[in-house]
Amino acid sequence: MIDRLWFLMPELIVLGGAVLCAILGVSRKVGVRNLLPVFAGWTLIIAGVVAWLFVYVPSTELAAVATEVPLPWLGRWVVIMSAVVGLMLVFVQAGLVDRVYEAAVAAGRVAFDPLRTTRGEYWVFFLLSVGGLMLTSGASDLVWLFLALELTSLPTYVMVAIGRVDRRSQEAGMKYFFLGALASAVFLYGFAMLYGATGTMSLVDIRTVLAEQVAETGSMNPLATIGLMVAVLGIAFKLAAAPLHLYAADVYEGAAAPVTAFLGFVPKAAGVIALMLLLSVTGWQEDGQLPQVLVILLWVMAVLTMTLGNIGALLQTRIKRMLAYSSIAHSGYLLIGILAGPGAGYTAVLIYLVAYGLSNTATFSVLAGLRRSGQEVEFLDDLAGLRERHPIMAWGMAISAGSLLGFPPLLGFWAKLLLFMAGIASGQLVLVIIAGVNSAISAWYYLKIMAIPLVGTPKSDAASIERVDVPGARFALVLISGALLVMPVALSDMIADAEAALREPDKMQTVDEDSGHAGGSAIKQEQPSLQS
Amino acid sequence: MTVSMLNILQSAVGVPAVPMDQVVVATDLRWAGIILLLPLLSLLLCGLCAAMRVKSKLPAWCTVACLAGSFVLSVLLYVNYNPPGEVIPLLSWMNLSWGDGALNSFSANFALYIDSLSLLWIMFVTGLGTLIAYYASEYMEPDLGKGYARFFAGVSVFLFAMLALVLSDNLVMLYLGWEGVGFASYWLIGYYYTRPAAVAAAKKAFIVNRIGDLGLALAVYLIWTTFGTVQYDELMTVLESHSWRAEFEGWTISAIPFLLMLAAFGKSAQLPLYVWLPDAMEGPTPVSALIHAATMVTAGIYLVARTYPLFLLEPVSLHVVAWVGGLTALLAATIGMAQYDIKRIMAYSTVSQLGYMFLGLGVLTTYGAAYHVFTHAFFKAVLFLTCGAIMHGFAGQLDLRKLSGLRHMKGWRITSWTMLIGCLCLAGFPLTSGYFSKDAILAEAFVTQGPGFEILGWIAILTAGLTAYYTFRVWFRVCAGPVSYEPGDELHDDHGDHGHGDFHPHAPRFAINSVLVVIAVGALVAATPYFMSNKADANIAGGWVADMVHDSTARAGLPGLAESQHPHSEEVSHGAHEHPTLFGMDPHKAMYFVSGAVGLIGILLAAYLHLWKRKSADALRGWLLARGWIAWLPRAMERKWYVDELYHALVRAPLWILGHICYAFDRFIIDAVIVDGTARVPRLIARWLQPLQSGAVQSHAVVMIGGVGIIVLLLALCLRFEWLGVVL
Amino acid sequence: MTMVATAMAGGSLAQYLIISGVLMSIGLAGFLTRRNLIVMFLCTELMFQGVVIAMVAFSRWHWEVSGQVFVIFILTVAAAEAALALALVVLLYRRRDTLDAEAWTELRE
Repeated sequence: MIDRLWFLMPELIVLGGAVLCAILGVSRKVGVRNLLPVFAGWTLIIAGVVAWLFVYVPSTELAAVATEVPLPWLGRWVVIMSAVVGLMLVFVQAGLVDRVYEAAVAAGRVAFDPLRTTRGEYWVFFLLSVGGLMLTSGASDLVWLFLALELTSLPTYVMVAIGRVDRRSQEAGMKYFFLGALASAVFLYGFAMLYGATGTMSLVDIRTVLAEQVAETGSMNPLATIGLMVAVLGIAFKLAAAPLHLYAADVYEGAAAPVTAFLGFVPKAAGVIALMLLLSVTGWQEDGQLPQVLVILLWVMAVLTMTLGNIGALLQTRIKRMLAYSSIAHSGYLLIGILAGPGAGYTAVLIYLVAYGLSNTATFSVLAGLRRSGQEVEFLDDLAGLRERHPIMAWGMAISAGSLLGFPPLLGFWAKLLLFMAGIASGQLVLVIIAGVNSAISAWYYLKIMAIPLVGTPKSDAASIERVDVPGARFALVLISGALLVMPVALSDMIADAEAALREPDKMQTVDEDSGHAGGSAIKQEQPSLQS
Repeated sequence: MTVSMLNILQSAVGVPAVPMDQVVVATDLRWAGIILLLPLLSLLLCGLCAAMRVKSKLPAWCTVACLAGSFVLSVLLYVNYNPPGEVIPLLSWMNLSWGDGALNSFSANFALYIDSLSLLWIMFVTGLGTLIAYYASEYMEPDLGKGYARFFAGVSVFLFAMLALVLSDNLVMLYLGWEGVGFASYWLIGYYYTRPAAVAAAKKAFIVNRIGDLGLALAVYLIWTTFGTVQYDELMTVLESHSWRAEFEGWTISAIPFLLMLAAFGKSAQLPLYVWLPDAMEGPTPVSALIHAATMVTAGIYLVARTYPLFLLEPVSLHVVAWVGGLTALLAATIGMAQYDIKRIMAYSTVSQLGYMFLGLGVLTTYGAAYHVFTHAFFKAVLFLTCGAIMHGFAGQLDLRKLSGLRHMKGWRITSWTMLIGCLCLAGFPLTSGYFSKDAILAEAFVTQGPGFEILGWIAILTAGLTAYYTFRVWFRVCAGPVSYEPGDELHDDHGDHGHGDFHPHAPRFAINSVLVVIAVGALVAATPYFMSNKADANIAGGWVADMVHDSTARAGLPGLAESQHPHSEEVSHGAHEHPTLFGMDPHKAMYFVSGAVGLIGILLAAYLHLWKRKSADALRGWLLARGWIAWLPRAMERKWYVDELYHALVRAPLWILGHICYAFDRFIIDAVIVDGTARVPRLIARWLQPLQSGAVQSHAVVMIGGVGIIVLLLALCLRFEWLGVVL
Repeated sequence: MTMVATAMAGGSLAQYLIISGVLMSIGLAGFLTRRNLIVMFLCTELMFQGVVIAMVAFSRWHWEVSGQVFVIFILTVAAAEAALALALVVLLYRRRDTLDAEAWTELRE
């Protein structure tokens, strides 16, 4: 039991940080309240460092637990990724909540009232949600998976609603909450069927039982298959994948830009990780392929998601809505990697998550960092000629949108390339061609996002757009833009790390003995170009 | 019989192959990567200076310091490397493999291939680069705070790309460097981007070079498909392991040298792709000196020398190289005779001298070519830099009719005398460096047997005379004679208030003068290797430069070795059974007198027409123009043999028509029907789907649950009735 | 009568699953048709209870306890969601003085 807790060290640290934030958030000292993002940031840094240096290192404890978890090393990648992207999100969200209220308090118009402040709560929920994402990666059974997913989602409902005091953000929070609850019920029903078909909650045991059933009857238990399908469809809500993607546009538009940046990454990443773990129960059968039904399901979902996402984004004039649809499309690309399966596919998914998370955060940080008479910038055309007044914003926007589009040599390009290559390697040529066509369609609007701030003619009221007084968003933008340009240099290292994070438990013991592990070397053959 | 293929061909020229198995991977020399990195660092610093709007000469000092560092490291590398060559891995880049077998892998990494040939090149590239950057620190003064940092950033990019080109251990990295120097050249020719002529020249250079680049790209591809590798060491090993040319099947083995040749002709400005180089003089003069005279244009020579064994496989290609080189030399020299713009004369003389180098490669003397590259780099740099000093001091005046007697003017003596040194070398005045290096090529044209090589030799000798004439035409006109001058049209701000009336030329100061002196001394000293004895092989002549060529892939073109052993080959016969003679003497000895005499005749002619009796030059021109049967000659020479017009008629006009046809097709068929049509489809779908988004929670929920329900139901039915087989 | 008697006596797995399906369907139908936010939320709770019944039934059928453990967690999460939902509903009601879901359609294409 102690071993399992040691495993959960990063999550516990995040939990502790959340408690600290809850207490400090009601402090009467404004300096302490202003320090909340700093506490949250340090919490994430410490959690990431602990995961990196202490928890996920080869040890006897880990070896003992490893057999109970489908992908024991996955936590290393996911925790560090959550910490890094989370840190960027901290920068973007700093100074967001209670902006008006705190200004009033500072001006002495109202006295500080712990019951009216929501800043503390916001950061608590932020940390809890990131903690939920971290927890997802270590899931060993359905209960854990469910709880981790709910821990990721529930705080986001609140964050959307309190992110800014605005009718639209409350509407967004309401829609998000109700549809989210509906989706939770759907995937829970799938879990119930899966449990009914196998009689166990543990993912590893479900895999064993299903494998026995396949060995006996020659095909997978229909109840388990339908259960898996329903569960996958329910989890699709977290990814904003078709047909459960409809909420995304409304919610992303209604929430404050920093919250939207958060929504674009954390629940989506949790959903992707959950899908990876959940699909591991099929054992990927002997040829590394999913059962045909699931292949068809994921295929249809991927095609629908990316096509609907990209087509939806085409006509938008409101930039957040456009980015919301584009983030739907990215879920479709991610599904290709899920479909391609362990090895190349999952490796590509992990790297794509990082590339997408960073680029997405950067695009929204531009919106978070700009303001027109206290309101967010709403239309893409409002950004026209941004370069003249705020060159950093315009260039950051161009770089991050370029990365989302997959513009070489940015990180997004390599991630997308890896995904597509994994798709081709697993025999999904048609799907990859459709994805390529979709990428071409997405160029239509991404190029607009890149070009309008850089070369557009400013509108007459462009001068009224000002920078937010908190420099966090700009700082994150510069950091991420730099990272998107520089990280491809370390691409082979990233691939190696992602492969290491995806080692399976039964292959783990042999790692030290015969240095090259089976999964890793298979990938090496499939993706020779990116191996050094 | 397991004699290797290369050995047979090389036994034809009497030289054993470079022992490739002795080429080792040397990780201890990794610091050599800094040679490449320093120009990049300098680029970064110049960029920073530009961003910080630095108004001082800081960018120049950064660049000079970095390049000097590169030069020192290059010399250290020369001292430390082990012959015959070393591969220094820096960064892994592409290592693809998709199965076993020869053609199922491809690797190209950032690695340096150090042998004497690349060392020779990097030493003079970095050395001259440093000096010329120092020169430019003064020359570019008028642009301080404006384009100053941009200029030095361009120089840094150029140096980086050039070093990558020369040091690469594979053809892909060479290709990157090749494109890089092309880009840097475009950048710097178009430096004065407000001048339409500069922009047009930059575009011309870029486009003409693209033709050559296409050749290189195709050649790299064919080399890979033919030999299964693009790395030099592996390539040479493959060449050695085949015992006869017939073992290489197909046409590619013949096509490769011609494609490489196309690339070399584009970059090194040979017929018919030389047209960009004279126009490239629109760039700042230090750029002309560095890129378009001393270093970049010799990249073509380097490419041929580096891949020389491939040329040896197809002897016809070498014949073509020789003839194109010889004809370019003659043509450019005749054009140079009739120009009035001194920088342009130097440009044509560069084209002409590059022609000599290719002639040398074609007649199997890589040594001669490399030696001429080496000496030419110095004396042509001096000539360009003096032209630049004159242009700088006389407000852009370059017309040799409007300048005279600089020798007697205060502050211009160093310029005049260093220019004289450059002219003497270029004219092949006895005992100067140009004299020896040119002789090495000229003599070999008579020694090597090939189709009409003897005629080619006489053409080259004639060209040598013409060269001496036009070179000294410049010097006698500009530096000798009575003092008189007119300013050019580019009055700088500091003279602007004086107006034309009392123009004062400003003489070059320390930076320019010191660089002129150093390079001029270098041009003189460059003669000494000829007298040195050889360390590597006592049988060969030519001293240090020959030593440098001896250890490289280009060693097959070393004349001395050939004569010391017994050559026997039908294909490339070099030093055949009966030794050819010239005036009953050994061609090498005879050439000392012949070329010396021809050079002197040219100089004397120039002295008569342009120093003693200046009027007679115009009289001669008038006399020629008045005679109908000969009038075409001066006219054609002045109009550069109508090559630009020919290009216009043969290439540009048809392209213009084709372009407009394509445009119409694109506009009315592709755009109107296909693109707009396809763009409309997704947007129509989007419009059609929009009503689904009514915004109410329930409508979202209906779509979500409906979607889930339909998908699950369909798939469950598939599962139940085993329709999957049908679907898939 | 016999059916009811069998059900009272414990019943078969299928019967429990039917009940669970019926609860799910009622919840779903309610969610899709009702306009009142509180009722809609109660409908999602109904769907959760459908899952809970299925879980317990499977747990009993497999004679394995983890399904019932899961149920406790589902109930806990449902309680948390209820707290959240009520807070949200109060917030929305204060803003608009209505609980009609149709009143909140500002965000749309």
